[in-house]
Amino acid sequence: MSIDRAGNDVLVTDPESATRSLLEVTDLRVYFASARQRVHAVNGLSYRLQAGRMLAIVGESGSGKSVSARALLGLLPHTAQVSGSVRFDGTELVGLPEREMRRRRGADIAMVFQDPARSLNPTMRIGTQITEAVRAHSDLDRNAARDRAVELLRLVRLAAPQRRFFEYPHQLSGGMRQRVMIAIALAASPRLLVADEATTALDVTTQAQIMELLLELQQRLGMAVIMITHDLGLAASYAQDVIVMYAGRAVEYAQASTLFTRVRMPYTRALLGALPQLEREPHTLLPVIPGQPPDLSALPAGCPFRPRCDAASDDCATAPPFAEHEPGHWWACWHPAEETSQDGASR
Amino acid sequence: MAVVDAGAPALADQPMAPRRRGWARGLEIVVPATVLGILAVACFLGPLVLPIPDPIGGNVLESYLPSFSPGHLLGTDPNGNDILARILHGGQSSLTVALAVNLLGLLVGGTLGALSGFAGGITDTVIMRLLDVLIAFPSLVLTLAVAQSLGPSQTNTILALAFFSVPAFARVSRAATLRLRELPFMAAAGLCGTPVRRVLLRHVAPNIAPQLITFAMLGMGIVIVIEGALSFLGLGIPPPAPSWGNMIAQGQQSLSATPMLVVWPSVALFVTVLAFNLLGESLRARWSRQ
Amino acid sequence: MTAVVDEGPPASLAARLVASPSLRLIGKRLLTAVPILLGVSVLSFWVLNLIPGNAAQQLLGAEATPEQVRALELRLGLDEPAVSRYLSWLGGALTGDLGASLVSDQPVTELLWSHLAVSGELVLLAFLISLGLAIPVALLAAYKPNSLFDRISMIVSISGLSVANYVLALLLVLVFAVQLAMFPAIGFVPLGESVGDNLRSLALPASAIAFPLFCFYTRFLRGDLVDQLQGEDYIVTARAKGIGPWQVLLRHAFRNSTFGLITVVGLNLGTLIGATVITEQIFALPGLGQLMLQAINSRDFVVVQACVVVFAVVAVGANLLADLLYAVLDPRIRYGSR
Repeated sequence: MSIDRAGNDVLVTDPESATRSLLEVTDLRVYFASARQRVHAVNGLSYRLQAGRMLAIVGESGSGKSVSARALLGLLPHTAQVSGSVRFDGTELVGLPEREMRRRRGADIAMVFQDPARSLNPTMRIGTQITEAVRAHSDLDRNAARDRAVELLRLVRLAAPQRRFFEYPHQLSGGMRQRVMIAIALAASPRLLVADEATTALDVTTQAQIMELLLELQQRLGMAVIMITHDLGLAASYAQDVIVMYAGRAVEYAQASTLFTRVRMPYTRALLGALPQLEREPHTLLPVIPGQPPDLSALPAGCPFRPRCDAASDDCATAPPFAEHEPGHWWACWHPAEETSQDGASR
Repeated sequence: MAVVDAGAPALADQPMAPRRRGWARGLEIVVPATVLGILAVACFLGPLVLPIPDPIGGNVLESYLPSFSPGHLLGTDPNGNDILARILHGGQSSLTVALAVNLLGLLVGGTLGALSGFAGGITDTVIMRLLDVLIAFPSLVLTLAVAQSLGPSQTNTILALAFFSVPAFARVSRAATLRLRELPFMAAAGLCGTPVRRVLLRHVAPNIAPQLITFAMLGMGIVIVIEGALSFLGLGIPPPAPSWGNMIAQGQQSLSATPMLVVWPSVALFVTVLAFNLLGESLRARWSRQ
Repeated sequence: MTAVVDEGPPASLAARLVASPSLRLIGKRLLTAVPILLGVSVLSFWVLNLIPGNAAQQLLGAEATPEQVRALELRLGLDEPAVSRYLSWLGGALTGDLGASLVSDQPVTELLWSHLAVSGELVLLAFLISLGLAIPVALLAAYKPNSLFDRISMIVSISGLSVANYVLALLLVLVFAVQLAMFPAIGFVPLGESVGDNLRSLALPASAIAFPLFCFYTRFLRGDLVDQLQGEDYIVTARAKGIGPWQVLLRHAFRNSTFGLITVVGLNLGTLIGATVITEQIFALPGLGQLMLQAINSRDFVVVQACVVVFAVVAVGANLLADLLYAVLDPRIRYGSR
């Protein structure tokens, strides 16, 4: 997707890097093996991400979005089996030996997690937790690392960074802790930041602040960002590209503007439709999606959304391919919506 | 602000290796339970059924016979008594004492702790302070003192050990009850106006039972060892009646010459305690997963 | 919102002490420790008094005449009511006078010190050995859970915990003293005489006590480490930074495990008393356990009472120390919350 929103070619300084994406995920599959069964968390996910762009991966719980993100960094437990291809700047990450992977974690790709209260070590000063990340990928001595850490705290707009350096996580508020997590992630100047439900545990106001911060950092540092969320509104407001995941696979993929105005997938439409809206008459029932997400240990053949889809037919017994049916707009459905959605959640 | 607050003795604690296959898990419970079953049957029914000589009143001329001698599978002790017979009879006393002590602890201590935890307030504080005193009290002293003055016997041993088993169970029971009290369904029961006795019997008891039973399993091992220690010091089951402890003490005197006198009762002791520990661990792992 | 202790103009020492959360905790615990110790001393006094058998009678033997017994009773003050005897004992105890042995007339405090030194050294060695081995073993086991090393160490641990301490002691004597003749089977050599011989005489008894402790600590620590490595989010964050596995294990998981370990060590110190009695008996060490055993046998109640109180003080004190360390080291307690 090296075209901008107006459809013009983006001016690039390095023609080769323009065609080579920063991150290329092809047919990523992850399953968890236990004694009795296999849980297929990710079933053939593919996407491309260019440098400096923000991609939102949207889906409900169990859609595989978090698992796919952790697979990028090799942070899954031993019971996970990963196959497929993940190319970061040309290097294949799947199957990379652990020592090589460690060099890339934090330095090339960094992650911010959901619950900052639990994601920070409660008995370690936050300054140390940042310098640890700094020194893992550089030869800076303690003092230089400390300076860098304070600089990072300033970058994430944490007040009184010198003092905060010596404090412990429980002395900070939720929003402040998340800023610290972001500072940790930025420590080695990664080119890709993955925010896994980074704002879910925060209240709405703080959420907005953190998202603004991420956006600002992205533009300032030229980082690519993958934003994983179940919040469509958030995705629409901040991301440039959006993937919708269901049952471990991508079902729709487009730029944000396109996705929310020209929705195709019945699932995405249903998700958008289920958002509460001011324009509706009061006391109307929220159109919820009937049924339950599928059991990932026993996935049926064919389209996984079929049992819950009102546009389903016998064709759907065969899994629809995920293809670029329109320029820049991919989906996997035999019966995509024809009309432009009137109540798209574009803001 | 002690992290480990259940007052559990040294053994009750962390899980072993994580998930194993289903059938292996079942095995973890079945095998030790079977071993214990065989042991109990052997000790209590064996002497009645099998042609085993009496544990006391042996012929001195037949003393110090080695293992696998004819008529004496494990040999004889300094007094000519058959060691196997003594081990089986000794097992009877050890198991009886352990069972009695833990049962008393479970019933009395468990109830006390549950009441204390449930009632809260002053009652709770007072009971807990009293239990703290008992727990801080060096138990061996009291047991020794009691044994010294009242004379060693099986009953006295049971009473003395129960004195310390009760507070230990009470602590575990109280901690479990306190955790239970936080749960919403307890508040619901209270709001429904359920009488206290009913709440305790139908809600508290079944929920704290697993922890108490697991604790009791580990307690069985502990009490058997302590009873052995008392007998070893001459203050438990009095000779000539056999106890694994006093057999070991007796064997100590000729340790270098006839080590088997110590080895056989030690093996019996080890196997029994190991079985109880494994069973307790497996039960705890099974129940905590639910 | 900030650390309570080092913000704002310097308050008076008293005000700062009252405000510090960890010191307040310590103070509270000290306050509860006192009634417990008092309770123990009362209980012990009461129990010892209940034991039938007149102390004076015992001391003089069966042939003593009633007048001799009566005279001794008066001299020892055994004719007074129990309550007043307890109170005078308590008064003496608080000023450091624990009375004199009924048997040898030696001041009890002297006896206690010399015997405490032996038991103390024994227990200290046992802890050093057990922790010194348990920590590396647990770390290695947790580094690769379910590896061969892990499984073997866990099997050894649970088996080790099932061995009675006196059995183990005898086994050690059999192997190391009798067969291999590396260490003495009995006897104690004081530190003053020869450090080498002192350590040799304590090697087997300390190992006998240390082995079950080692088993327990290994299982405990390994369990705690693995729980963290598998369940805690900050471990994932640490890995995501790209730091190596040993660093994750040591700087994050082990660091947090030390709190639980401290508490457990404190608890163990209290229950260790039982182990020392038997071990000292087997190895003929002149320690506190041995003293108490002899005193019980000879009805020397003054010494027994003193020993009981000392043991209780050690148990309660160790617990208190553990809580104290916990309060000081855990930043969540030291700095309170916002």
